[in-house]
Amino acid sequence: MRKSWIPWLLLAVAPLVLGGALLIGPTPVALLDPHTALGRAVLLLRLNRVGAGFAVGAALAGAGVVLQALLRNPLAEPYVLGVSSGAALGAALAIFFGLTTLGALVLPASAFALGLATMALVYALGSHHGAPSLYGLLLSGVIVSAVASSLLMLLISLAPVEGLHSITWWMLGNLQSASGPLLAGCVALMAIAGGGVWLFARELDALTLGREMAHHLGARPGLVVGLGLAGATLLTAAAVALAGLIGFVGLVVPHVMRSLIGPAHRRLLPTAALVGGLLLVLCDALARTVAAPLEVPVGVVTALLGGPFFIVVLRRRRKAGWVE
Amino acid sequence: MTPALELHEVTAGYRRQDVLCGLSLTVAEGEWVALLGPNGAGKSTLFRVLTGLHPAAAGTLRLFGRDLRAIRPAERARLVAVVPQELATPMAFTVEELVTLGRLSVLSRWARPVAADRRIMERAMAYTDVLELRDRPYDELSGGEQQRVAIALALAQEPRLILLDEPTAHLDINHRLDILQLIERLNVERKLTVLFISHDLNLAAEFCGRLVLLDHGRIVADGPPAAVLREDLLREVYHCDLRVRPDAAGTPVVAPERKPRRIPPEQTVRVHVICGGGSGTELLRHLRLAGHQVTCGVLNAGDSDARAAAALDAELALEEPFSPIGAAALDRARQLAAGASAVVLCDVPFGPGNVVNLTLAEEALARGARVLINRHQLDRRDFTPGREALPRLTSLFARGALPWLRLDEVLAQLAAGRPPPKSAG
Repeated sequence: MRKSWIPWLLLAVAPLVLGGALLIGPTPVALLDPHTALGRAVLLLRLNRVGAGFAVGAALAGAGVVLQALLRNPLAEPYVLGVSSGAALGAALAIFFGLTTLGALVLPASAFALGLATMALVYALGSHHGAPSLYGLLLSGVIVSAVASSLLMLLISLAPVEGLHSITWWMLGNLQSASGPLLAGCVALMAIAGGGVWLFARELDALTLGREMAHHLGARPGLVVGLGLAGATLLTAAAVALAGLIGFVGLVVPHVMRSLIGPAHRRLLPTAALVGGLLLVLCDALARTVAAPLEVPVGVVTALLGGPFFIVVLRRRRKAGWVE
Repeated sequence: MTPALELHEVTAGYRRQDVLCGLSLTVAEGEWVALLGPNGAGKSTLFRVLTGLHPAAAGTLRLFGRDLRAIRPAERARLVAVVPQELATPMAFTVEELVTLGRLSVLSRWARPVAADRRIMERAMAYTDVLELRDRPYDELSGGEQQRVAIALALAQEPRLILLDEPTAHLDINHRLDILQLIERLNVERKLTVLFISHDLNLAAEFCGRLVLLDHGRIVADGPPAAVLREDLLREVYHCDLRVRPDAAGTPVVAPERKPRRIPPEQTVRVHVICGGGSGTELLRHLRLAGHQVTCGVLNAGDSDARAAAALDAELALEEPFSPIGAAALDRARQLAAGASAVVLCDVPFGPGNVVNLTLAEEALARGARVLINRHQLDRRDFTPGREALPRLTSLFARGALPWLRLDEVLAQLAAGRPPPKSAG
C-alpha cells in the first residue's frame, strides 16, 4: 500500500534539515549573528551554499525521474548517460575561454548546449531503428562520457594555472563557488524546466506504456520525448553549472521515492525533487564537517554513499517499483 | 448514418514492400468485425494505419466521416481506442493510475481529474469488473485481470471505435470467453464499434457477425462466418488443410486436418500415379510422407507434376514437352506400373495426347491390382475427339475400380487393402 502521507512528512521535515545545515560549518554558531557584519556575511555564504545544494539535488533527482520514464530505463540518469560530462565540458569551455564574465547565464547556457548535443549523440548511438535500448544507452553513455571527460582533461592540461583550479573543481563536484547571480539564474532555469516537465507528468506516465500506447491515448510521443529530454538536459546543465559533476543523486532518489509513493509522475516528480534537494544538502553538510577544517568535494560524498546504495536498490529492483 | 470507418484503396508499407495493397473496407457504426489472416497478412499494419501511427502511402481513410489526417491526436483518442496484445509498463502503477491515463487527452495539465472524469473512470472499471482492484499494482495481477484493465483503460477514453489486437492471445480458454463476452456487452449495450484481430477462427465465428479475411495485404473474403470460413479459401490463405463443419447451432467450426502419419515400412505399398498439370502434386507429397513407394507417368517433361515427382524422388516415365505420349514412354510407364499394387488416377483431364495412360489402369485392374480414380466432374474431363475417355473410365468402375475425392480416402484405401500379414499354414 502506498503511503500518501510521505510527501507531507518530507515537507514538514524539510525546514529542519535546511535550518540544521545552515548551522553546520567550520565557523562557530555564535558568529552567525545577523546583527554583525561578519555574521551577515557568513550567514549569506551559508544560505547561498544550502540554497545551491538544494537546487542542484532537486534538479538532478528531477532529471533522473524524467529520463527513467522517457527511456523506460531503470538505470537512466544524467551522470550515467554522460549528459553531466557533456554539460561539464560545455561549462569548462566557457571558463577556459573566459566567457563567464559576459553574464550569469553564460555558464548554464554553454553547459546546456553541450549537454543537449551529448544527449542527442547518446540517444542516437544507443538506439536501434529509432528505439533506444537499455544496454545500448548505457554503453553509449559510458563511451560519450569517457570522450567528454578526456576533452575535459585536455582543457585542464592546456589551461593557465589560475583557471586550472576551478575546472578541476567541476570534475569533482562542489557547491562552494556559487555566486549570487549565477545561483539565481540557474534556479530560475531549473524552475522553468522542472515546472515545464511537470505539466507533462501524465504523458510521462503514458510513455512508460510505450510510444505506441502513448500515441493511442492521444499524446504526441515524439514531442513529449523531445521536450522531456530537453527539460532533463536543462535541469542537468543548470545543476552542473552550479556545482560541477555530482553523480548518483539522480539515480538513487527516483528509485527510492518510486518505491515509497508509486510511479505516478505528478506526485513523484516534486517529491523526488524535494528529497534530492534535502539529500544533497545533507551530503554537503557531511562534506564540510567530516574532515574539517578541510573540505571534501560533495560529489565524492554522493558517490561514496550512492554507489553501495545503488547496488542495494538494484538488487531489490522489483520491490523498488521496477518490474523486470 | 456515416460509417465508423471508411478505407478507400489504402496502400501502406515499410521501406521495401507494401504491406497493405489498395485495401478498401467500410465498417458501419455498431458493427463487430473480426480481422483474420495469417501472420504477415497486414492485420497489425492496418491497425497502425487506422490510428495514424503509420502513414498511408496512398488512399483515403475516414473515421466517422472525417479524414484521419485532419483529426488532432487528442480528438482521435476520443474516437478510437486500442487494446494491445499485452499492456506492459516497467513501473508499478496501480490499476486506477493506469485507467486515469485513458482520460489523458481530456484532463487539464494543471489540475487533478474532476468529478466527471472520475465518474467515467469508475464506470469503465465497473464495466470491466476491476473496481475492487483499483489500488492494486497492475503488475501483480493475473493475465485475465490485466487484460480487463487494458480494456478499462480503453473505455475510459470513451471511444466510439475500439480496436483490439488479439486481446485474448495470452489467456486460457475461460478468460478468453470472459473477455469476449465483455466485448460483446460493450458492442450491444454501448453500441461500440469493434474491430478485432484474432487468430482464433472459431471464437471469431462464434462472436462476430462479420469476418474479414486478409492475405498479403488484400481482403480475400468479407462477410458472415459461413461465407468466409470455407475450406478452399482457408487452404489458400493458411497453406494447410483445414476442415470446416457447422456446429449444432450452425456456426462453422474450423479444425486442422490431421496429417497422415508415417506407416510402418512393412505396410507400405508401391503406387503408380497418373496425373498431370498439378493435379497429382499433393497426392504425391502425401504418399511420400506416408512412406509409400511412388512411381508416376506418363507425364510430359516440364509439367508441374513431373517436377514435383522428381523432387520427391519418384520414378518417372517422361515424354517430350507438349508432345503426345509415344510408345517408348508408355512402355516405360508399363514397367513402372507393373510392380505397383495400386494405380491412382488424379483429377486430370484426358485429351488425345494422354488418353493412353488409361491403358495402364486397365492393365493393372486386369492383373488384380487396385485402381483408384478421382471422380471429380468426370464428364467434364473428357477432351478426346471421340469422347472415348469417359466410357473407358465408366467401364473401369464397372470392373471394380474405386472412386475417390479426398486425399485421405486414397490413403485409407491403400492402408486397408495392404497385403494381409503372412500367417503360418
